[in-house]
Parts: sequence; structure tokens; C-alpha cells
Amino acid sequence: MTQLASIGRSAAIGIYETMVRIAACDQGIQKGLAAGELQFQYYPAGGQEAIAATIGALLDEGDRSVTTYRVIHDIVAKGTPVSEIFAEMYGKATGCSKGKGGPMHLSDPKSGLMVTTGIVGAGAPIANGLGLAAQLKGTGKVTVCSFGDGAANIGAVHEALNMAALWKLPVVFVCQNNLYAEYTSFKESTSSSSIADRAQGYGMAGEECDGCDPVSVYEAAGRAIDRARTGHGPTLLECIAPRLQGHAFGSEQTHMDQAQLERDIENAPLVTVRKRLLEEGLASEEQLAVIEKTAAEEVAAAQAFAAKSVDLDSSELYTEIFADDSLLPEGPGSGGVRIEDPKPSNTTKMMFGEAVNNALDTALASDPSVFLLGEDIMDPAGGIVKATYGLSTKHGLDRVRGTPISEQAIVGAAIGASLEGMKPVAEIMVCDFAMVCMDQIANHAAKLRYMSGGRTSVPITIRMMSAGNVGSFGAQHSQSLESWFAHTPGLKVVAPSTAFDAKGLLLSCIQDPDPCISLEAMRCFFVPGDVGEGDYRVPIGKAAVRQSGTDVTLISYSWGMQEIQAAAQTLAGEGVSAEVIDLRTIVPLDLEAVLSSVRKTGRAIVVHPAVEFCGFGAELSSKIHENLFAELKAPVARLGARYTPIPFNQTLENLHFPNAAGVLEKARSMLA
Amino acid sequence: MAKMTLKIPKGAVSMQEGTIVEWLVADGDKVSVGQHIYDIETEKSTIEIESPFEGTIKILVPAGETLAVGHPVAEIYT
Ligand SMILES: Cc1ncc(C[n+]2csc(CCOP(=O)(O)OP(=O)(O)O)c2C)c(N)n1
Repeated sequence: MTQLASIGRSAAIGIYETMVRIAACDQGIQKGLAAGELQFQYYPAGGQEAIAATIGALLDEGDRSVTTYRVIHDIVAKGTPVSEIFAEMYGKATGCSKGKGGPMHLSDPKSGLMVTTGIVGAGAPIANGLGLAAQLKGTGKVTVCSFGDGAANIGAVHEALNMAALWKLPVVFVCQNNLYAEYTSFKESTSSSSIADRAQGYGMAGEECDGCDPVSVYEAAGRAIDRARTGHGPTLLECIAPRLQGHAFGSEQTHMDQAQLERDIENAPLVTVRKRLLEEGLASEEQLAVIEKTAAEEVAAAQAFAAKSVDLDSSELYTEIFADDSLLPEGPGSGGVRIEDPKPSNTTKMMFGEAVNNALDTALASDPSVFLLGEDIMDPAGGIVKATYGLSTKHGLDRVRGTPISEQAIVGAAIGASLEGMKPVAEIMVCDFAMVCMDQIANHAAKLRYMSGGRTSVPITIRMMSAGNVGSFGAQHSQSLESWFAHTPGLKVVAPSTAFDAKGLLLSCIQDPDPCISLEAMRCFFVPGDVGEGDYRVPIGKAAVRQSGTDVTLISYSWGMQEIQAAAQTLAGEGVSAEVIDLRTIVPLDLEAVLSSVRKTGRAIVVHPAVEFCGFGAELSSKIHENLFAELKAPVARLGARYTPIPFNQTLENLHFPNAAGVLEKARSMLA
Repeated sequence: MAKMTLKIPKGAVSMQEGTIVEWLVADGDKVSVGQHIYDIETEKSTIEIESPFEGTIKILVPAGETLAVGHPVAEIYT
């Protein structure tokens, strides 16, 4: 082993000091757990202290870090105050994430630890986004992304490594190989003998080092960080450091080789580094004793601080879901907004799809923090339906970036960049493909504001097409998944039906402080309308009354509007006056607009392209019943798609989707 | 002198209760930090509990009892 002196005396002592502080925290937490005082799943970092402590010593203050539930070493080394870490573990308001994240989701933008994920491997795509923001803004910041050997086998990591190499992102991927993934050994889960070797396949630098030896980590991580900082791209760094106990506090160890475990404990980095410091004469016994005593006192003080900190107020349940608490569909929220619609003085006739393009162009031109990313969005293709045509030529490939076919990496990159204040617009071609990146959307974009106690936020827009009822796309390219998104607290969902709204809502989404899903229906794409010039914003959370009426309220959004508007026309010929409401936004929900209409008509039919069973219509229908039961002249009716995958056969597809005839049938029987 | 209470820890996600298998110290013994003091059996595994504190132990519940997570089992006077 190379002498510790080779990295310099003060660096060596500094690294040991951080290792001791990590171990003191780790043991302090396990003490609380053993005493039954704390009760949560805890993932100890014993054996991995030298990796985090050494990398921490190499990073600058502004550098970023993304890690996983096995976090204590990483967060202490990144510089988060131990008192705030403990308070978070105790679920207190003084915690670094206000007690709302907890031990598995500690984050602290002040120290640069931007995300800790409980989802194996999910940090890697987000780390890319942090790196991309640094690259686009030219800040010179480096992002370190830590994950386990088990995580090296998950798809998100693969997608992220390829994208990072392709874009030469300033990210260091640190695989902390502790030789186990929960109860499964490295050998049992991985056929290759090295994770670092895979780097070659991604076209990036790869290196393996001894994670128990600060010198080995210092040299390898130093090279990797330099590479990232000087524009030479990412590195896949594998640091091997055996785990010194079961997966979590209290987990069994029968799957671990007991003799090997005993040897590993005997040669724990904390023990060997101490010994080397003494043997090399870099520090005296007294000096080390002071470091150890100070760390123990720091942890004791942190524990006391956490224990006596005030608990979270119950009103915190409903805060930090959106930037504005009043937009929640329940609790303190009223859902909708009462802002006037914009009235641009100049309008031009264009198609819905052109309006989308126009909105993106407007946003790119007026705000340097906006950029687009997605598959095929760059010229000459300009997207599969030309939604982004011309934009990369005009605004450059940096800001209109075509991506590999890696939906998790696309959304993760958007999330990471947004954590740095950028306003990314990600395109996920069709809604159906959102399912392969639902983890990034639902577990990360939607929840980071809440899990960080409002200290981070994710102002991204994800555009996707909902096909359906245009024929020939079949079961996997035609779905409308708005209910999936609406069911996830933290996501705003818009579904415009007109060209005017397509532009105005998209511009609102891009500038919105929260993650927004914009569902653009293919059936609306080629419908023309009057679109305002310049940057106008249609309020997110406000329905539009398209036609006033007195007998029945027809409610829909997206392409469902075409069907209810057709039905309303036929009804008018039959002497029935229908009020037609375009929700435009599903979350926040403008319930007031719906209720005030149904209060007048006493009848309502909710129509949507998505499957009726467990669909959004059920929610809205229930809300109408709960609020207006006594005033209803008939039970609220719903009309969605049938409970079948979307058939290819045209006759069957017509039967699957709701249409004007179905709406008429419901309306007539309701009015009979 | 402070009284620290030891409770049945939550050893695994699904753990609701644990059985004290054996006390490795006697009532009134001096215990040190890290000393293996008792074993708990759950439906999944046996957890060895090390003393988080140094002091004199007062055992509240004998071996053989099954208790809910969070139930006090001993006190350590530090
Ligand atoms: C996507 C996902 N799958 C499964 C789990 C459950 N799980 C938690 S930790 C873990 C093992 C991960 O091992 P590794 O990546 O090697 O990290 P280590 O725990 O060893 O630090 C598993 C399977 C999870 N949290 N997320």
C-alpha cells in the first residue's frame, strides 16, 4: 500500500477525521435503534467511510452529490451539519429536509447533496441533469453520483451512463461496491467480475480502486474529478469496500461469509487508516484521541438537539406539495385559480401542433434557462409530428437536444437540471412510453419538493402525445394516462383541446414552479385555431366554459371536447341547451367551474378518452355528488373508454373510445 | 446519574414484536458500550443487541417474553 503521506499529512488527517465523524454518526444512530428510541430502516455505512471521506476532501464547496439510502457517509462528507442530519432522522422540523424526507431521503442543497433516493439506481439520471446544467451554464461544478454494485444492474444506471458519455457530462459515477446487494452477493448478481470494466462499453473512462484505502481513492477519484472539471467527461469509478454488517440495522447476516466478515471487520478502514497514520508518524495518539472525542461530542450534541427539537406542526402535511398550497385538490386547497384568461391583441390562425412549436420557440427565445430534450426532436426531423421543427436550427443543438432512446435518462436529466434552476422541457413522444420512466416522474419529479421540505423543487415540463381514436396505432401507442399522473401528488396535468390553449398552457407549464405534464392529443394536433402572438399564459387550473346552457353540463378535456361539442350541437337541434365545459387542466382541478355549472343545470356527463373504470371521471363524478347531491336531477353520468386494451381493428377501436353518439345517448336518457 | 431506557427495537421492516431469547447479563451488572447484552428473536431472525450505554443495568422483562416493538425491556443507569 502506498504511504498515506503521499497525499499530504493534512489531507490524510482530514480524511481520517471525516471517517471518524461518519462512524460516530453511524454508531450513534444504531445506538438509538438498538435502544428502541429510533424506529426506522437504517442502512449502515460501516466499511465505506474512506470512499466518502476521500471524495469529500477532493470536491469543492459548490460541487454536487447524488446518493442513495445508504447515505450517512456521503452526507457527512459533503458537509451537512450533523445536527441537521440527526434532526432529519428524528423527523423534526430542524432536519435538513424539515423532517419530511427522513433517513432514506436526506438532502441538503446548502451542502450540495441534492438528492438521496430510496429507489435503487434512480439517482444516476438525475446526476446527469445536474452535470448538464453545469455544462450549459459553464459553472465548472462537478457532480458525484454514488450507488451500489446492485444498482449497477438496473436500467436507469445504464441509460444514464450512456447519456453521460455521449454528452461528456461532468459527472463522476461512483459505484461503491460493498460486495452485497441486500441479501445477494456480487457474484450471485453479476456475471462480469468488474463494474469499472463496463466503462469501455459506454465510451467513458473507467477505473477500479480500493475503497478501503484513502490513497487509492484519492488518486483515482482525483483523476476522475479533474477529468470532469476540465471538460473531459464522466468516469465510472468502482470503489471496492466490503460491507461490515447486514444490509440494514437488525438484518440477518447468514448470507455473508462469516470468516471473511470477521477478517473484514478486523481490517476495517477505520482501524487500518488510524494505524497507518500512527506508523507513518503523521499523527500522534493524542491528536487522534482528540479527533475521536470531538466527533463523539458532536454526535451527542446532535442527538440532544434532535431529541429536543419541536415536532412538525400538523399543518405541514399539506405544504410543499406544490409551490402554492392553495392549488391542492383537497385540504387547504381550493384547486382552481381565478385568474382572467389572457387576451392577446394579435392572433394568427395556426394548427394545434404549430401552436406547440410556437410556444416552445417563444420560451426558448425569451428565457435562456429553457431548453428542450427528447428523442428525434432536432432538425431535420424536428420531432415525429414536427412539434419541434426548426427549433434546433434556430436555437442550437445545446438547447434543443436530441437524445438516445432513454426515457429515464431524459426525465432524470430534466429533473437534475431543474434542481439548478433551469426550465427543461422534456418530450416523451407518446404517453404510453411514460410508463418506462414513471419512476423518474412519480417517485422523483413529483416528490422532491415534499421530500426536501421545500428546499428543492422541480420546475420541469414533460410533453407527451396522447394518441387514440386516430386509427392504426393499437394498444401501445394510443393511451391516455392522465389518471396515473393525477393520482400522484405533486404533478400538475394539463390537457388542452384548442390551439390557443396548447400554446398558452404550455408557456404556463414551462414557467411554472412545479413539474407539469402536458398531454397533447394527436386528434387535436391538426385542428386550427386563433393563436395569440408572443408570450401569453393560460392559467393552469382554470376551466373554460365553451358554451352556456341550462339543461345539462357536458364536461371533458383534450380530444374529448370534440365529441361533447358535437353532441351539444345535436342536442341544440333537439331543443336541449347544453353547457359545455373544457377542464383544460386536471390538476389543479377547477372544481368550482364544474359545480357552478351543475348547480344551474342539475345534470352532468363527464367524458374522457381514458378508460372509464377507475378513470378521472369517477373522481369528478364523486366530487359532484358529494357537493350537489340534493340539487341533482339525475345521477352524474360518465363516459370513458371501454375496459379493453386499445384494439387495432377500426371497428373495435370505434367501440372502445367514447364518442358523440354515446354522449347523446346518456344525455337523452338523463333528460327523458 | 441518568436513566436510559432500552426498548424492543424495530429490526426489520415487517417486525411488529420480538421475543427476548436470552439475557447475557444479570440484573445489576455493569455493562459497557458495545457489550452484547441480550438477543431478540423475530419471525425472521435473531438480533444480537449490544448495549448502547455504559452503566448499571436493571432488567425489566425476563427472557421468554414476547413484546411489541417499543416496549421497555431494561434501564441503564449511567
Ligand atoms: C428499484 C428498487 N428495487 C429494489 C429495492 C429494494 N432494495 C433496497 S436496497 C437493495 C440492494 C441494493 O444494493 P446495492 O445497489 O449494491 O447497494 P447497497 O445497499 O449494497 O449499498 C434493494 C434490492 C429498491 N429500493 N429499489
